[in-house]
Amino acid sequence: MELKIDEISSCLELPSTTVERWVRQGRIPVKMIGDTCLFSDTALRKWAEEHNLPYHPPGEQQKEKPEGTSESLADAVGRGGIYYHLPGQTVEAVIGEAVSAMKGIESESDRQALYESLVAREQMMSTGIGNGVAIPHPRTPLNQTGIPTQIAVFFLERPVDFKAVDKKPVYVLFVLVAASSQQHLHLLSRLSYCLRDATFLNLLSEIPAPEKLITKIVEFEARLSGGAV
Amino acid sequence: MRYNRDNASPGERNTGKRTLIRPSDWKIRLNPSRWVWFRMDDRLLLIAFGAVVGVCSGLAAVALSHGLVFLMENLSVFRDYWWAFVLPGIGMAASSLFLEKVVREGAGHGVPEVVYSVSRHGGLLRLRSAFSRLISNCLTIGAGGSAGPEAPVIISGASIGSNISRLFSLNERQRVTLVGCGSAGALSAIFNAPVAGMVFTIEIIMGEWSAANVVPIAVASVAGAQVTRLLQTHQISFTHLRFDVDVISTLAAVGLAVLTALISVLFARSLRYSHHISEKITLPVWVRALIGGCMVGAIGLLLPGVLGEGYHSIQQMVEGAFVPGLALMLLLVGAKIAATALTLGWGGSGGIFAPALVIGSFTGLMYHRFIDMLWPGLSWVNEGCYALLGMAGLISGTMHAPLTGIFLIVDITGRYETILPLILVSALSTTICHVFEPASFYLRDLVEKGQYLKPRTDAKVLADLSISELVEKDCKTVPRNMLLGDFIKVVQESHRNYFPVVDEQTGEFQGMIHLDDIRAYLFDSLMYETVFMEQIMQTDVETVDVHEELSEVLDRMDTNGLFSMPVVSRNWFVGMVSKATLLDKYRHELMVQTMH
Repeated sequence: MELKIDEISSCLELPSTTVERWVRQGRIPVKMIGDTCLFSDTALRKWAEEHNLPYHPPGEQQKEKPEGTSESLADAVGRGGIYYHLPGQTVEAVIGEAVSAMKGIESESDRQALYESLVAREQMMSTGIGNGVAIPHPRTPLNQTGIPTQIAVFFLERPVDFKAVDKKPVYVLFVLVAASSQQHLHLLSRLSYCLRDATFLNLLSEIPAPEKLITKIVEFEARLSGGAV
Repeated sequence: MRYNRDNASPGERNTGKRTLIRPSDWKIRLNPSRWVWFRMDDRLLLIAFGAVVGVCSGLAAVALSHGLVFLMENLSVFRDYWWAFVLPGIGMAASSLFLEKVVREGAGHGVPEVVYSVSRHGGLLRLRSAFSRLISNCLTIGAGGSAGPEAPVIISGASIGSNISRLFSLNERQRVTLVGCGSAGALSAIFNAPVAGMVFTIEIIMGEWSAANVVPIAVASVAGAQVTRLLQTHQISFTHLRFDVDVISTLAAVGLAVLTALISVLFARSLRYSHHISEKITLPVWVRALIGGCMVGAIGLLLPGVLGEGYHSIQQMVEGAFVPGLALMLLLVGAKIAATALTLGWGGSGGIFAPALVIGSFTGLMYHRFIDMLWPGLSWVNEGCYALLGMAGLISGTMHAPLTGIFLIVDITGRYETILPLILVSALSTTICHVFEPASFYLRDLVEKGQYLKPRTDAKVLADLSISELVEKDCKTVPRNMLLGDFIKVVQESHRNYFPVVDEQTGEFQGMIHLDDIRAYLFDSLMYETVFMEQIMQTDVETVDVHEELSEVLDRMDTNGLFSMPVVSRNWFVGMVSKATLLDKYRHELMVQTMH
């Protein structure tokens, strides 16, 4: 194969000065004529493997890094769904109902695991953040289960005492399930940005239709990425 | 001793300058390094080139020894005149004039230059080194100066190897191997000692033992020795001698080891001392060489045995035909040391190999006479054996190369009878010398200047990495009159803890801000609108220049307890160096350097 020196150094994820020196010193199976590098693809791949270096020739697709922070709140809510009139008198009962209503959970054991971790989190400290809103979520991401990242919104049939910080009974739940801690924090920070805002809380108290709620979330997210943090 | 930095073009290492000339097609196709079966694996290529280099350096060795014989025979008619003592002076003056004025090379001994070039410049040597020292050495020794022909032959062989690899545009690793091939071929040719040539090269020149090097070097040794056997009829050869070494003689060799070690130290120190003295004299080099040569000649008037390279006396001693008694032997040892120190220190050109052998055999003989006098009744092995042991002891002691000492003697006798005391003397002599002299005579000056980098060591890895390869450029610079409030937004988007502050007009580096510096004001919104960057930044920051040596930078980091430093070149911020990245790059470099 023939490549320019900067191309080959980006294949190896090294500064071009290093690659150039290695070629000159004969430490790498590459031959340089002018500024063109001659090498055999298999030999270089083997060499990179032996020396624990990355090697991505230009044609080869680089493995995409798992992007945890690009997920938008609206997508997560869209995936989780919005439910109304969730029955239940106690925290456990409400969570149990919510979990059994959620989509995308393949097996019963996953559902059970989710329920248990949500309840355990509530017992440790309430997720009721005030103004009648609670954000039940597992403490650690449930990677081993196949539950996709999502936020399910539940409007309760009648407000339940969640032992929230402001002692107000909770009437809406945002059940947050994330595949990784990074995604969890990212979604939580976006959600809390919305929930801090009075107009958003007003909208929630009106128990809006799904489209209306999603539109509002999209509007807020646009403001968030608009730069004024 | 002087090291020619010019031997390597200075830009080659630092700037990594590339040749922009595209070689024409025929040259590329004819270049053996591009032939298919050589390209994937260069072992065959190196073996083939090693043989060629070995033959060439063997020819250089034969040429030198013929030149020496010619000069010595023609000058011997003058030896009997009273003014014969000026002959070495004239020879040395001519030799130093030739080196200084005609070919413009320093009057080094040869071997340290080769080691330096291998250690710092990937074996780059000038083409003229291939013959310059041969001629100057011929003048020095032919006229009677006390020096050896080995070092000049080694540097010329090495230079042949280096230039052949340059001709075929081989890389540094291959070039270093061919430089080793040249030196092995040369040494094995001049002594007719193939194993010694190989071992010396690996022990002294290469400093490492790796399979990729050993094979071509061995081939070159064979080639060199073969050339000398074909073209030269007179050689040192003791193959007809028999030595019956018994237990007592082996034990007595311990005493000889101590003696040779002490004399090695004395030899090495007087060489350096004499060089220091001559450097203090403010006269032109050739005048100094003339004075030194005349002094050597004066010593030679009294004791003619110390002149020249001395192989003749070695032959006599090993065969047991050397008559002088104990007192005269002691005088001879001193005189040979003095003559060599004057020759090499005052401007003559040559190596210490042959003088060390002569001094060693004097020492061995002296020791034999001494123990024979103490215990006359015991049946000692004949004195030739002790002369051989003394040689091995002195070679091992001055060069810190025990294996070279052992194999040189085995090679020139062609027998293994003396091997037990030989190993004992060589090993002990090296060990004792190590106590007094931390580095061998060849490497002493290089080590003192920090220029000797053994392959696969920390120093070598650090010397190869440059700051420009380590610098992290993902730092966001902030202008000096940015408000704290705006800065906090920059902090949110960055993933670094350090922020360089620059002047927005000139772009010059002003100072650094670390996250710790603003931590106290992070939540104080009043400060957001009132504090500027230049009020917070630290101005007394330690900075690094792009061209600084990495080992020095690390020393500064350690003394100041820093983990990262800004790289600033001509007041411009370039990036940061940090120990974290360094570890990463260091590991890569170490792996690449240690695994072949």
